[in-house]
Amino acid sequence: MRFWLQRLAAGLLLLLAVSMLTFGAMNLLGDPLFNILGPIAGDTENPTSVALIEAAEAEYNLDKPLPVRYAIWLGNFVTGDFGVQFSRDGAPPVRDLIEERLPRTLTLVVMAQLMATLIAIPWALWSASKADRAVDKASTVVTFLFVAIPSFALAVIMKWLFTLKWPIFPQTYNTSDPFWDRVWQTFLPALTIAIPAGAVYQRLLRTDLITTLQEDFILTARSKGVSKRNVLLKHALRPSLFSFVTIFGITTGALIGGALVVEQIFRIPGLGSAIVEAILREDFPVVLAIVMIITIGFVVLNILVDIVYTFIDPRVREA
Amino acid sequence: MSDSTSSPIDDTIADIPLASPLEGIAGAVTGHVPEGEFEGASKRRLGFGFWLAVSWLVTIVLAAILAPYLPLEDPMENIIVPSEGTPPYSPSSTFWFGSDQDARDMFSRTIWGARTSLTVGAAAILFGMLVGGSLGMIGGYFRGTSDKVISFCFLILLSFPALVLAILITALMDRSLLTISLTLGILGVAPVGRVSRANTIAFADREFVTAARSLGARNTRIIFRELLPNVVIPMSALALLGMAVAIVAEGGLAFLGLSVETGVTWGILIQIGAGRSELEAAPWIAMAPITVLFLTVLSLNFAGDRLRAFFDVKEAAL
Repeated sequence: MRFWLQRLAAGLLLLLAVSMLTFGAMNLLGDPLFNILGPIAGDTENPTSVALIEAAEAEYNLDKPLPVRYAIWLGNFVTGDFGVQFSRDGAPPVRDLIEERLPRTLTLVVMAQLMATLIAIPWALWSASKADRAVDKASTVVTFLFVAIPSFALAVIMKWLFTLKWPIFPQTYNTSDPFWDRVWQTFLPALTIAIPAGAVYQRLLRTDLITTLQEDFILTARSKGVSKRNVLLKHALRPSLFSFVTIFGITTGALIGGALVVEQIFRIPGLGSAIVEAILREDFPVVLAIVMIITIGFVVLNILVDIVYTFIDPRVREA
Repeated sequence: MSDSTSSPIDDTIADIPLASPLEGIAGAVTGHVPEGEFEGASKRRLGFGFWLAVSWLVTIVLAAILAPYLPLEDPMENIIVPSEGTPPYSPSSTFWFGSDQDARDMFSRTIWGARTSLTVGAAAILFGMLVGGSLGMIGGYFRGTSDKVISFCFLILLSFPALVLAILITALMDRSLLTISLTLGILGVAPVGRVSRANTIAFADREFVTAARSLGARNTRIIFRELLPNVVIPMSALALLGMAVAIVAEGGLAFLGLSVETGVTWGILIQIGAGRSELEAAPWIAMAPITVLFLTVLSLNFAGDRLRAFFDVKEAAL
């Protein structure tokens, strides 16, 4: 129990630090007023502009000192109020924007991780069962190539090959299409992210499987007459999943970064385009909300990884 | 993290590649040092593949440095060849890699792109090594509070998805070559720092350090004369992997419209060629820089990986 409390506290501390850093950096380096008011923001001579500036400052809490603004923002954020967008045209609250964009990115990342796992596990099992033979060596070379290819380069190649040269997949993502259509439109982008990730997982899992296959209990199972197939699936796989699960948690951060870029290439209006637009407009509340959501996802996932450990290896529960 | 190299049956499985997590890109981003691949070839030899990778890297670096003196077309010039019709021109003896929609020579642009991309990559990893490496050594050597603070900073840096952090910094600062390089350098600080910290801890308890201390050596001497050489040499492998990550990250920024403002990089070139109409009419605009970028990243990864195996760097602590 104490372990989990510590884990949770560390996660919260991390979130706090990340939010302070983001909030501070944006407020010290940016000038949001210009984006709310336009050129008037720089006009401190004209009394009408000054009045407008002061009104805007009051409206967006910009007249208060930085720590106070941070405290107000934090108080609102934890109650689920992400604030208003910094823009003139009466854009919807940040929360609406997030609710619109987040599911698209989430679908992409979840599909990508699923595909990566579905690629990695069978491939690793096959590879480990043929360890060190020519086919295994060839597959190792293939994983090396897949790991080296940047996701954006793969995305461009995939887009060229499978939407233009051989138009198997849809070219565009339509926000108005029904859910399952959009899932199909997300298939190719997700595969693009999944291939390099799957290659990373495969290499890791294959190594761990090979190590596990040298253990005594595998020999025991084999001598009892368990088939090679069942030894792999029922005896060797579970104890070999440890590092795979760790990496699964850690890579998600990198995967989200990749997803932001892949979204741009396949024109999926997800969090990627939202954060880029928001940063260019210095729309702080949107940037903050997105950074925080991604970081929360990251923290939660890593705690989940620790929970999953206890299922894979009961000894962890006692430790 | 399981460390397969500690297995008692090392001898029997010596020729099985003792690979481990997160190679290449993911590896350097998250702080894992990948174990050497293809170790079957023997640890004491770098092997043919290594030298092949190194020769590609030397070629591309030389081409990048010598670009102004090579007989290349101006990368910004529109070279209209009336006999060939309207641009984009496909690859030919005039345009080795074809030309883009504005009739600019892709071969020349790819070489000039190498100049910026490689500069960004090298500057970034240099910064990461200097800052992350020294912070990691300080934390690993002195331990205590400074170690806790440094480790927590690394944790914060690692918990930002790398690209989000890069977007944030480039958007708030400017997009000069220096800012982009430093930004990507910051991304390298935590992964490099963790490895250097782990290596320092591993060496700080060794007999030769105790011996130096008992002879009256001060901390600075121990760090620079005893620990640094042991930590730096194996980390040269990490530098190559990190450079690959920085080059790739620059490409990611380019696709978000946040790469360097002036000049061309591989990322910008690929981004220009990645539109639907460009891919349909002239796929070589994107494929030429993609190929060169891929070969470079592959070579950096492979050479780094072989060096790791050569120096026998063990999996660093998480």
